[in-house]
Amino acid sequence: MPQLDTSTWLVTIIAMILTLFILIQLKFHKYSYPLSPAPKTFKSTSFPTPWETKWTKFYSPLLLPQQ
Amino acid sequence: MNENLFSSFITPTMMGLPIVILIIMFPTLLFPIPTRLINNRLVSAQQWLAQLILKQMMMMHSPKGRTWALMLISLIMFIGSTNLLGLLPHSFTPTTQLSMNLGMAIPLWAGAVITGFRYKTKASLAHFLPQGTPVPLIPMLVIIETISLFIQPMALAVRLTANITAGHLLMHLIGSAALALISISPTTALITFIILILLTILEFAVALIQAYVFTLLVSLYLHDNT
Repeated sequence: MPQLDTSTWLVTIIAMILTLFILIQLKFHKYSYPLSPAPKTFKSTSFPTPWETKWTKFYSPLLLPQQ
Repeated sequence: MNENLFSSFITPTMMGLPIVILIIMFPTLLFPIPTRLINNRLVSAQQWLAQLILKQMMMMHSPKGRTWALMLISLIMFIGSTNLLGLLPHSFTPTTQLSMNLGMAIPLWAGAVITGFRYKTKASLAHFLPQGTPVPLIPMLVIIETISLFIQPMALAVRLTANITAGHLLMHLIGSAALALISISPTTALITFIILILLTILEFAVALIQAYVFTLLVSLYLHDNT
């Protein structure tokens, strides 16, 4: 049976180790598996400035005490 | 007859150069590297397939076992593509070589077992004695469990070799029988040809199933040991 001819075993094993452990893994480690596109929740990331957290009067020029 | 039948399993060398290296490396050409966010059809299909296989296989593993994900997906794709390419006429199938299958099975099995012994020594040693054995049977059972542990890589390698080799031999024999029967009795030749077609369909299934079984068993040995 030709599979039992051990003269070629070294070449085959080295070629297989090279292919399986290096070449094929180089191909597969670049694969990306993106999540399916789902709508993102619209949470605001900006926070109100300290003077905006409390409602205060706003100063428009016509509302200032008339001089 | 003997010479002719097994000639497709001789490791190919052309004028002393071992072209078996090129044949083993050939399936890597069929998996292009994705370079874009949205890729072409071939790469997208392969990514989809890889994700399907990974999700199915890695679900049962702990985070430590999941570090083997790249190795297992490479293994199943390599064996699957090599087996399928071997179904082309006159091609050489590297997985029919016992050398290659032993080279795949022994390091992977040894890696799983040694990982188990390093990180979960007590649990790994506990595998040698099933729960609830009667005390007089303990020495014999430890011997049996040790033998069954060491036979795992041999069984992995020989299973793959024997299945693929047997399939190829059967196709060769039935094909030459069909060819020889054409001049003698065309009806029998037709029946033999239909058997050949059915066998080829079986071989497609076997090619994929053997890849799956190999990888599944490695994954199982890993699960036992992480």
